[in-house]
Formats: sequence, C-alpha cells, structure tokens
Amino acid sequence: MAVTAVHQFAQCITCHAWSPDQSMVAFCPNNNEVHIYKLVEDKWEKVYVLQKHDQVISGIDWSRRSNRIVTASHDRNSYVWNLEGSEWVPTLVILRLNRAALCVQWSPKENKFAVGSGAKTVCICYYEQENNWWVSKLIRKRHDSSVTSVSWHPDNILLATTSTDGKCRVFSTFIKGVDAKDSKKGTSSDSKFGEMIVQLDLSSSWTFGVKWSPSGNTLAYVGHNSMIYFVDDVGPSPLAQNVVLRDLPLRDVLFVSERKVIGVGFDCNPMVFAADERGIWSFVRSLGEQKALSSGSRYGSQFSEAFGKFYGQSKHGVSNDAVEASRTRGIAHENCINCIMPLGDRGTLIRRFSTSGLDGRIVVWDLENEQDLLE
Amino acid sequence: MANTLRLYLTCIRNTLEAAMCLQNFPCQEVERHNKPEVELKTSPELLLNPVLICRNEAEKCLIETSINSLRISLKVKQADELENILTKKFLRFLSMRAEAFQVLRRKPVQGYDISFLITNYHCEDMQKQKLIDFIVQFMEARIFDIVETKMSLNNRWRLRLRVEDIKQEILFFVYK
Repeated sequence: MAVTAVHQFAQCITCHAWSPDQSMVAFCPNNNEVHIYKLVEDKWEKVYVLQKHDQVISGIDWSRRSNRIVTASHDRNSYVWNLEGSEWVPTLVILRLNRAALCVQWSPKENKFAVGSGAKTVCICYYEQENNWWVSKLIRKRHDSSVTSVSWHPDNILLATTSTDGKCRVFSTFIKGVDAKDSKKGTSSDSKFGEMIVQLDLSSSWTFGVKWSPSGNTLAYVGHNSMIYFVDDVGPSPLAQNVVLRDLPLRDVLFVSERKVIGVGFDCNPMVFAADERGIWSFVRSLGEQKALSSGSRYGSQFSEAFGKFYGQSKHGVSNDAVEASRTRGIAHENCINCIMPLGDRGTLIRRFSTSGLDGRIVVWDLENEQDLLE
Repeated sequence: MANTLRLYLTCIRNTLEAAMCLQNFPCQEVERHNKPEVELKTSPELLLNPVLICRNEAEKCLIETSINSLRISLKVKQADELENILTKKFLRFLSMRAEAFQVLRRKPVQGYDISFLITNYHCEDMQKQKLIDFIVQFMEARIFDIVETKMSLNNRWRLRLRVEDIKQEILFFVYK
C-alpha cells in the first residue's frame, strides 16, 4: 500500500508544512491559527498554537535550513515565526497589500520569500538587516486576476506564478544587495526585478499549483479545465505539452523526480504522471484504486444522519432506490486534496510525500512498494 | 415518464459532480471580504459558463458556477392553474424556512421557482456526494409532493361533488 499513515487532525485543513527534520507538522485547521503537532512516542501531540492572524491562513512554509515558518493569511498580512527558546516569536512582514494573501513560499536559499495575493500582485520579501524587519517589493500590473500559487526556481531568482486569469508567468526577482550577480549564468541574473521572462497562455480556465522540477528545467502546473501542463525550456521559446484528465481537476502538483509528477485535487486520489524517454508526458495511474461501495442501507443511514434535519418535515423519508448509490471517493481522503508536500531530503529522489485536504486529514504516502512507479 | 425523469436527474447529478469543485476564495474587489462570486459577478474571469439542462420547456435546471460558489435554479412543471398555485405556495413555504436547509436561497433567480446556493463552506462541512444526493432527492421528492397534493386535492373535490350530487338526489326524492 502506498498509504503509510493517516492522521485526522482537524475538521478541515487548508495547508500544511513539515519541520526540517519532519518530527513536527504545522497546519491551519481552516481558521486563524496554526497548530504545530509533534510526534511524541508514536503519538501526535499539539505542542504549539500560533495565534496572530485574524482571518483564515492560506499558506504556510517552513524553511529547511533556518527553521523559520512563514504564514500568509486572508487578513492581508504575513508573519515570519522564529523559534526562540520554546516560543515561536512572530515578526510582521509589511506586505503593502490591500487584498488577501493566498500563497507563500521560501526561496531555495531562504533569504527571500514570495507571497501571491488577491490584489493581483506578487510580493517578494527579504530581510533588511539595518531596519531589522522584512520588507517587500511588489510585482504589479502583470496579473489580471488573483495569484493562486508561486514557485521558486532552484537558482533563487526565477519565480513562476499561476493566476485565475488562466496564465502562468515566470518573473525575475533579482534584488540588488540580496542576490549576488552570477557571471556564469548570464540568462536569469541579467534581468531586472519584476521583469516577465515568459507568459504561458495555455489554459482556458483558472490555473493552480505551479512547480519546478528539481533541476529547474521543467515547469508543471494545472488548469481547472482538468488539464495538466508541462513546459520545457522556459525562456523565449518554451515547449509546452498538456495532458487531459478523465477525472475532476487538480489543485496542486509535486515533482518526485525529474520525470515523474504527482497531482492532487478534487478527485481525492493522487495521480501519477510520467515522461517517457522522448519526453512525452502521460497519465500513469491513480495511487490506490477506488473501491466502489454500493451499500444502500449503510448509505441510507449516513444520509439521514447528515441531512436528518432537512428531512424532518418530509413524509416520504429517504428513498434509496431513487438515486444511485454514492461511491466512496478516495482511499485515504474523502474530500478535495489541496496541498501536497515532499518528505525526506531535498534534492534527492522523493519517495515519500504528504497530502492534506478539506476532510482534515494529513496522509503520508510512500512510493517504496509501488514497483511500477520507481524505475 | 419515470424514465425520462431519471435521465433528467442523472444529467443534473453528473453536471453537479463536475461543477462542485469549489475552493475558498477571498474577494478581489472588497478588502477582507469573502462573498460568493456567483452572486456578485464582479470579476468575469472567476465565473464559468452556466449550464442549462431542460427536460422540456416547462421543466429546466440552470447551474451557474464560479470559483467559490455554485447556484442551482429549478423550474418545476406547472401544467394548469392548480399546479401553478400549489408550486408557488409550496416553494414559498420552503424558501421562508431557507436557513433550516442551509443551501437553499431565500429568493429564486428570476424565471425560476427555487434556487440553491452552495459555497465552498458547505463543501468543507459536508461531503460532496451527500450534498449532491440531497439536491437531487429534494428535486425528485418536491415534484412528487406537488403531484400528490394535486391528486388528493382533486379527489377531495370529486368527493365533495359526489356528496353534492347525493344531496341533490335526496332532495329530489324528498320533494318528489
């Protein structure tokens, strides 16, 4: 089985992130708090609650080297949390946003982070030593709608974004004094801050979940029209491929290797995509097959439980034969999966990853026993 | 008849299944607000194409989708004046108790008899399949309710007429 652990932490989880040694997990239970759980003697215990935001938290990222947490929330703010002794100390980031922050990610060198927002802008934040706070620089006037997802290129300069205007864009985020000029790699360091490298207009609907491959050669993102897009040679002449799904749209993707992608979304089952020798991407299979259960009586009792109050007045009761029996959706998740995070050391082949969704579960998956997916 | 109803409901069910892919999405226009985009319609890029499913001219279902909300509007068949009155009264009765149903809209969309509004919060609290089951069963049961009420009303009317007839006959015999 690919599922190694299922943890029901809350009613609903918007996003989650793992500590560098993966002994702790931080997640937002669909409110204004971040809960941090720690594995103590085979049991997960709540060790910290981070309270500073006043609206739902939309993004959490835990930096691997500096052990800092950055959170972004619909209240337009972002905080950087530092562990000092046994306390998480928040530092407010002046994002200069007038709409909700939607997503956040640390750069690979962890000297910057990017926040996508509903104000149709992206904030690149960096630490200013002399003032002792995080300042943000905005990329304006490029997005026509909310920025749903951001992803850093391994070179620490390029940033890919997806937006609800259906486009995927790549920007240069070179900041003088923060990034050193690299004379060897002329292409990306040449450009100024905020310059758009490429705009990909492949999707006819909203786009989500952009990710770079480990080497930074391939870019993957998903569209709400049940498509997943793979882009090679990001630059003046990109090579794009799209794969059409049979199932419901995806929300997020994760590169487990250079040629293998896991996609998660409304279908409740992670899906595996792989490229062959010629570089043609295709759908391999879903992780864990769907088990169709058509137990009318059980379903009936569940139904009346959930909607008992609706049927209080109805004299007909529940007629089970009137509708097709509902099937259970995923094997581990019962509602939309909206976040996928890698586990294990960065840079190497990712064997394990975790997913969280609207059903409040965090599920750890292992590709170890999936022979056909490992070669 | 039952078969075409089944097809109609199956079509609605499948459409809902595909359309109910909602997520939390804060308002782009107003600061610190989070409103169903399908009601506001301020950002056209956040709306999807509406789907209209018609069984016939009198019975149709409009499904409008946006990034964080979904609106289902129904038009129920009204063959005659009696059905018209029954539908109106009955659906008004339900709409007035909309908060008990959570997903029911207080006022139907223009041109329809009853509307549901499903937001991402409903999808977070309830299971998607159950939600779809509820909508479809609601439609089926309400259509059935109206037909049944009409039939019982007609029967009573008939009975009443019969009684009147008998009275007339008795009177006729008495005064003969």
